[in-house]
Amino acid sequence: MKTTDKFPHTARQAASLACDASLPAGFPAASPADPASGSPSLGLAPAQRRTLPNGVALYVLAADEFEVLRTTFVFRAGSTRQRVPFSASATANLLSEGTRDLSAAEVAERLDYYGSWYDVSIDRDYVYISFAMLSKFARETLEVAGQVLLHPAFPEREVATYCAERRQRLAIERTKVDVEAREAFARALFGARHPYGISSDERAYDTLTRDEIEAFYRRWYTADNCFVVCSGRVGEAEIAAVEAIASRLVQGDGAAAPRFPAPATQHEVRVAHPGAVQSSIRIGRLLFPRTHPDFVGMQVVAAALGGYFGSRLMQNLRERNGYTYGVVAAMVNFERAGYLAIATQVGTEVTQAALDAIYAEIERLRTEPMPDEELALVKRIMEGEMMRILDGPFGIADVAIENILCGTDNGAIERNLAAIRAMTPADVQRLAARYLAREELVTVVAGDS
Amino acid sequence: MIPYRKKTLANGLTVVVNRDRQSKLAAVNILYRVGARDEAPGRTGFAHLFEHLMFRGTRRHPDFDRPVQMASGDNNAFTNNDYTDFYITLPRDRAEVALELESDRMEGLDITPEKLATEKRVVIEEFRQRYLNQPYGDQSMLLRALAYRVHPYRWATIGLTPDHIAAASLSEVEAFYRTHYRPSNAILSLSADLDEERMFDLAEKWFAPIADRAVERPPRPAEPAQTEARRQEVERDVPATTLSIAFRMGRRTDPSFQTGDLVSDLLAGGDSGRLYRRLVKERRLFATVNAYVTGDLDPGLFVLTGQLLPSTSAEEAEEALWGELEALRTDPPSDYELEKVKNKFEANTLFGELNVMNKAMNLGFYELTGDLELINRETALYRAVGRDAIARFCRETFRPACSSTLLYKASR
Repeated sequence: MKTTDKFPHTARQAASLACDASLPAGFPAASPADPASGSPSLGLAPAQRRTLPNGVALYVLAADEFEVLRTTFVFRAGSTRQRVPFSASATANLLSEGTRDLSAAEVAERLDYYGSWYDVSIDRDYVYISFAMLSKFARETLEVAGQVLLHPAFPEREVATYCAERRQRLAIERTKVDVEAREAFARALFGARHPYGISSDERAYDTLTRDEIEAFYRRWYTADNCFVVCSGRVGEAEIAAVEAIASRLVQGDGAAAPRFPAPATQHEVRVAHPGAVQSSIRIGRLLFPRTHPDFVGMQVVAAALGGYFGSRLMQNLRERNGYTYGVVAAMVNFERAGYLAIATQVGTEVTQAALDAIYAEIERLRTEPMPDEELALVKRIMEGEMMRILDGPFGIADVAIENILCGTDNGAIERNLAAIRAMTPADVQRLAARYLAREELVTVVAGDS
Repeated sequence: MIPYRKKTLANGLTVVVNRDRQSKLAAVNILYRVGARDEAPGRTGFAHLFEHLMFRGTRRHPDFDRPVQMASGDNNAFTNNDYTDFYITLPRDRAEVALELESDRMEGLDITPEKLATEKRVVIEEFRQRYLNQPYGDQSMLLRALAYRVHPYRWATIGLTPDHIAAASLSEVEAFYRTHYRPSNAILSLSADLDEERMFDLAEKWFAPIADRAVERPPRPAEPAQTEARRQEVERDVPATTLSIAFRMGRRTDPSFQTGDLVSDLLAGGDSGRLYRRLVKERRLFATVNAYVTGDLDPGLFVLTGQLLPSTSAEEAEEALWGELEALRTDPPSDYELEKVKNKFEANTLFGELNVMNKAMNLGFYELTGDLELINRETALYRAVGRDAIARFCRETFRPACSSTLLYKASR
């Protein structure tokens, strides 16, 4: 069955900040197997890497026990690469809308006929093009994949249809306080013109042309800008078919990557939304990307604050006060930046009380050492989260991609794990004190103030 | 194919287990046969509110989450019109923790006036976040109220109004708990790489001591047959107009269900679906369009819905949707087209079986329908659907006199 209007009412919101930024495939790290408790090892076998003649790296995570496989092509072709608003996402989303040999309708027909999943996701830095298929239909699905990745045609008519739909969709999205707050938060952290901060007027879809899209494709969907990850039941035949696609990606012309100006942070922003019955709040601050030595430690701090049901913010805002249905905190990672974000929606009338409660919880982390039991709990939760992500061939691929993007390998899981386990209450307090001073925090509220 | 075994304990609890051979995780699911359809019209939203309260602790475990989290587990729940479902995943050698906690909160819940008061505020914030503070937030509520006059499906799980949630009293909460949360009203299902007998033993150990209670449940009012077309227009401050048409259809266990679901796939299953190809891509009337079946335990709905582009009038949009329903008759699906939607169903079933949580949850749901075996028979039922069955389904379902049309107009 497909989507129905039986929206499941989960008691606890599994809110995610993933839409803010590059795919945190959940927590990238986890605590190691604890011999005393007998939890299973989380170690993930290293991906088998081969490099094709054109330089594309192909990583294989074979798991023959499943009857499915997934292949993901990752391109450094996110929105920071674009000069024209929406050209990066339009390129990614229109790859399958008509190719040299197949119309958009034929691409869709074939993928549906074989029951294959096609998924495009894009963030500020990267684009992820994934095909998931039954192993018995791998050949047929990868044939379509070759067309989509190597020979997209970007037909005028499809571009026009796409732009009209997206413009309307974005206009609808922007009537939500949560979206208003999210966009304003990116602008506040980085500056309104910064590649990580910018948000464009939806009317820019009206002037986007197929030539701009095609130029973006030619510049960024290249061999030197790509790697590929395959997972599941991947035999030599499937690898050969994926290689045949990847090896035909051409070299880029080396055109300059966009400039990265220094961020221009603004600390207090209010977005007026008359009539809203809830306010959307974002609090956080610019920190550093995952490669920084304190990143993992700050993930522990974020998890303690708002990374699980029963976290300090959840207990305060939801369990004790009933201000909100949910609140989350997480470290968000970009290629060249990273930040801490806390997000929640609260009743309009309790907006200030909720803000004060969030500041107070942050301050408490800075001034009081965390009880040992609480820190142990947070570590267990992070370990469990990682186990769940690594359960099954698709989650394993997500984690492998994240590790590759960070310039490391699957050994990072055990190393990060060790780093988390080594955290002490004093470490948590030291990091919170160092990085979360009140005057450094950025606060955005969208609502009826 | 999900191999399973089933057992009923002496107190009436149904237990279904699946031995998974791959996962390091165990999934423990417990479903209670109570949903929004069991609520009184003056206390809508109650089943969902109660689901929240199930996380508020017992006398033995004042904090439900902590033992789960200390076992590196994760837990959640949802309520819909037909049932309430609680689920936990955790490392498979800790599975017993989940069973202990679920058995404990089946009879030991400790609800105080303070806890109830706070949880009511949380649920009212959920009501606001999802329905009142969202563009189109009330659309599905309006469509329900139009398509059903009597049956409790006329309200959404969240309820008719936050006032009903605010009015819930502690004695009502206690009565609800006694009535619905008991062994013979529950289905426990597990999926894990554990011996089946071991899973049954654990179920026996933790649930057998709970005594069942005989409870009378009032019958639900049946929705009378619809004899004339219904229509409602509303105007809201949203950027685009949407149109929805709902038709009455059978229940999830009706023999025509699979046919109806395939028809929805012909229309809207993936980017090759007829509605998307013709109305979005070729005729450019809609920005998005969808068709789905609700799959409820009592007779449900077949819904068509679409978001109009600014250049499309409501009349054109409505005519176009009816035109595609007509086309199912005049241009019936080819063998290829039928094969496609059946393949898609089969593939989705396989993808769904990759995950222990999905399997445990599905075992619970199919047992709830009264036909657990359907879980492994259903692909064959989809395979067997032919053009005649589709023609019959369309003829019987897509009748103007049985339609409810909601036009949700953008005032901007």
